[in-house]
Parts: sequence; C-alpha cells; structure tokens
Amino acid sequence: MAGSFRVRGTIKFVVWTALSAAVCIYFWMEYFNGNLQRQYYYKAKSNGWAVHAEAFKDATKDKPAMLQIGSFEKIEGLQAVPVKKGDRLPFGATGIIDKKTVDEGKRVTLEGNTLKVTVPWQIKDSKGFKYRDTFTHKGVETDPWGAVEAVLFILVLGFCLGSMAEGFTDMIGMKIEKIKHYEGAH
Amino acid sequence: MFEFVIAGISAPIFLLVLTGMTVGMVGGFIGVGGGYMVTPALIVFGFPGYMASGIDVTHICGKSVVATIRHRQLGNIDWVLGLAMVGGTMMGVEMGVRILNWTKDLGLSGIALLFGSVGIMIGLFVYTQIETHRSHKRIDELTEGGTTVGRELKVSRIPHFFQSISLWPIIRCHVAKIVISMWVVVIVGVATGVLAGFFGVGGGFIRVPALVYVVGATTHIAVGTDLLEIVVSGGYGALRQFMSGNVDMVAVFFMIIGAMFGAQFGSIATQYVRGPAIRYILSYSLGLATVGAFLRLVYLLSAQKYEFLNFFAVVFTLGEMIFLCLFILSLVMFAVRFRHGKWVPNWIPALVVKGD
Repeated sequence: MAGSFRVRGTIKFVVWTALSAAVCIYFWMEYFNGNLQRQYYYKAKSNGWAVHAEAFKDATKDKPAMLQIGSFEKIEGLQAVPVKKGDRLPFGATGIIDKKTVDEGKRVTLEGNTLKVTVPWQIKDSKGFKYRDTFTHKGVETDPWGAVEAVLFILVLGFCLGSMAEGFTDMIGMKIEKIKHYEGAH
Repeated sequence: MFEFVIAGISAPIFLLVLTGMTVGMVGGFIGVGGGYMVTPALIVFGFPGYMASGIDVTHICGKSVVATIRHRQLGNIDWVLGLAMVGGTMMGVEMGVRILNWTKDLGLSGIALLFGSVGIMIGLFVYTQIETHRSHKRIDELTEGGTTVGRELKVSRIPHFFQSISLWPIIRCHVAKIVISMWVVVIVGVATGVLAGFFGVGGGFIRVPALVYVVGATTHIAVGTDLLEIVVSGGYGALRQFMSGNVDMVAVFFMIIGAMFGAQFGSIATQYVRGPAIRYILSYSLGLATVGAFLRLVYLLSAQKYEFLNFFAVVFTLGEMIFLCLFILSLVMFAVRFRHGKWVPNWIPALVVKGD
C-alpha cells in the first residue's frame, strides 16, 4: 500500500517536474529571443522620441548626451526614433522622451537633428519611498495580450510547481493527510 | 548580479529568491500575500516604486497557486465559501482603487494610505491579541480539566451574530461547517476588497481575520480559503499591473521559484499547530507592519526631514519577514519535539497538536 503510494508519488513528481521544466524553458526562450521585451515596450503612449534610456543615464548638464535622431529599426546606444501615439516601438527602445518634456527644455532640448539630454533622472517619491525617476518606461504601452499571456504563464507555472512539490512529498513517503478540523473541543 | 532588462536595474538573484521564500513561508502559514513586506524589500533592492508593486502582486498570484494546491491537500479550502466571496472581493478591489485615485486627486494618497493602514492594523492587532490570548488560556484550562482540545478554539461570539442573519440566499459551506447568508459573505468580500484595493495589497491580513471573526471559519480554513481568493484577486491585479507596464516577469519568475519552497514549508507547517498559533503569528505580523507604517507616517508628516525614520521603517519591514520565519520555524520545531515527548516551553502545548 505504502509502496504503491510512493510509486504514484514518483510518477506525479516526474511528470510535473517535466512540465515545470518545459514551462521554464518556454519562459527563458521568450526572454532570450526578446519577445518579453517586445511585449513590454509595445507601442508609444505619446508623441515624442523613442530612446534607449540606459544609454544616457550618466549624462549631466556639464556632460550632456547627444542623441542622433533617425528612423532606425533597432535602437543602439545614443539614438532616438521619432514616434507618434500608437506607433509600434523599435526594438531596443526603453522609453519615450515626449514632446512636452522637450518643449519645456528643462531636461532635454532639440538641437537640429539631435536631442540634447542634460537631466536623465530626478528623485521622486512613492508611498514615502524615494526613487530615481528616469525616462525608462516613460510613455510606453504594454501589449494587452502580453498581459493575458503573463497571467496565464504565472498560473500555469504556479500549478506545475505546486503539483511537483506535492508529488515530491508523496515520493519521499511524507503522507499529508487532511486536517480534522472539528475533532475534540472547539 | 543579474541585469533586469525591463526594470532597468541590476540586482542579485539570490535576494529575490530569498525574499520569495521568506514571504512564501509566512504567506503559506498565515494566508496572506505579503505585499506589505515585499514592496519595500523590492524598493530597497533598487526596483522603482511602481514596478515593486507590480512585481509583488504578480508574484503573489503565482505563489498563492502553489500554496493553494498544498492547502487543498490539507483540506483547508472551502470552495463554496471562497467562490461566494470572490465576486464581492473583485467589486471591492475596484471600489478601493477608485477611492485611492480620488484621494490622489486631493493630493492625500500617501498620508491617507498610511493613516488608514496604521488605524486598521492597530485595531486588528489589538483584537486578535486579546481574543487569541483568551483562547490560549481556555485551551490550557480545558486541557488541565482533562478535555481533549481540537484544532480550533475561539472565544469570539461575533460569528454567531452574523450566522444568525437569515437573509436569503443561505449557503452551506460543508468544509467550514457553516450555514450563513450569502449576503454576509459577499459584504465581507466587498469590505475587505475595498481595503485591499485602497492599500494596494492582496488583502489577506484583513480577510483572514474577517473569515475567522465574522464568517466563523476555523483559522486553518480561513488561511486556505483566503489563498484561493488571492489567486483570483492577485490574478486580476497582475493583469492590471502588467497592462500598466509595472511588471518585470524575470523578477517575478525568480520570486516564484523561491516562494515555491517557502510556501510548501509554510502550508505544511499549519498541520502541526492549532488555530490560535496561526492567529498569534498573524497578529504579530500586523503589529510589526504597523510599526513600520507608523514610522513612515511620521516621516511623511515631518515633511520628510528625518531620513533615519524611513531607514528604520525599511529595516523594520525586512526584519519582520525574518522574525516571522524564525517564529514559524521554532513553532514547528517545538511541535515535533512535543510529538516525540521531549521538553518544550510551557506555552507550546496549547498551540501545537500531537497529531491527528
């Protein structure tokens, strides 16, 4: 009896481990081929310039970053692609410098065919915590189907891992019985 | 160090796995998502504030699935109760988010949130402490009188009042052995959902006491059923957060891996203890979270002049996770010793079980 319980546990563990591994491999493939990034940096939420914000994170007023404006398919380093609200973002874009920010001229200015970034980040406050507010994620719209896929992935991963753990405890003979909630004085 | 391309930061993977594991353990044991602990931790690791909330909610959804599977095996889930509550919870969460946006428009959100959370947490902490302490004493008295005490013992009479409301439709919760008006369950769902939506958390720390003290479920069933609720409300929260661009899935992935181990331990640990032990831990977690929130409130009210208050608030919140894990570990360790007839402190026998 105990033997068959452990055999069933072993089968359960092997099957769910294989499924968990498959889900994890799928996730990392999505990560390495850039699909996760494409889903996140999907469309422009405002008019402006798509940029790779990390490329100029160290710029200062004394040492500004000059971004070359052009219609690049992939943003690499100090480049900026003009976008309109609703446009698909080029690969490598991590944020939008919107037109309003450029018009204000406090952080970024337009100089001919280049964007001059002088204040790439500023300190802001959220729920009492201070954090660096940068151009990363600014004006970016996420793929709504990507959100559905992400939640489904989380549910499936949780289910596979939970079932795998259940199989593991069965396999090692740790029989987990249902708790008797109403025995004795209560 | 791992570079999180979407979050735009570098952070050590082991810290995320460890955070997931500790919160998973506490969450699996007391049935909370742990949002009030994870968000500050992620901010400390360098994640932007908005992303910390998104990663937190998304990981809570996955972690709750893992813990729910184990609690189902332990017989701690009342599906009727959970599903009856879900609709109310979702409606409440939406209302809570709208109230939050309204306070934001008034320029009050940070302070309103902290005032609200400190007030509710102090109230719940005091009530659970008093009630659990009385239950603890009652178990001692019954045991001394030679009565065999079961898994659960509560001295609160509040559930009797709510169960006596005979407003149609009446639902029968077979696992929880409760017959109650569905309206009570739905209203509890709405009320706890509003608070969850307003505070931006899963709401477990409000819903578990509500299930125990209003609906009248045993603590174990409240924990399991609440985790089922968190799967649904967390999934909805994750969807909204992802659409708002607040989620780095790679960070979520590492946290769920850690949470898988923690949630297993936390869930299985519930079979070693009685209801009051879980309520004690829930109560202490509320008390400690209150101190952290109170320090942040003073920091905000003092126009953010005293940076050390914010620092201590973060230290307190992170220390709380470790303290609660150690408390759960020591309870399990003493429970095992008690089962084997070895020495345990005087307060332990009333909180643990010898085995079903």
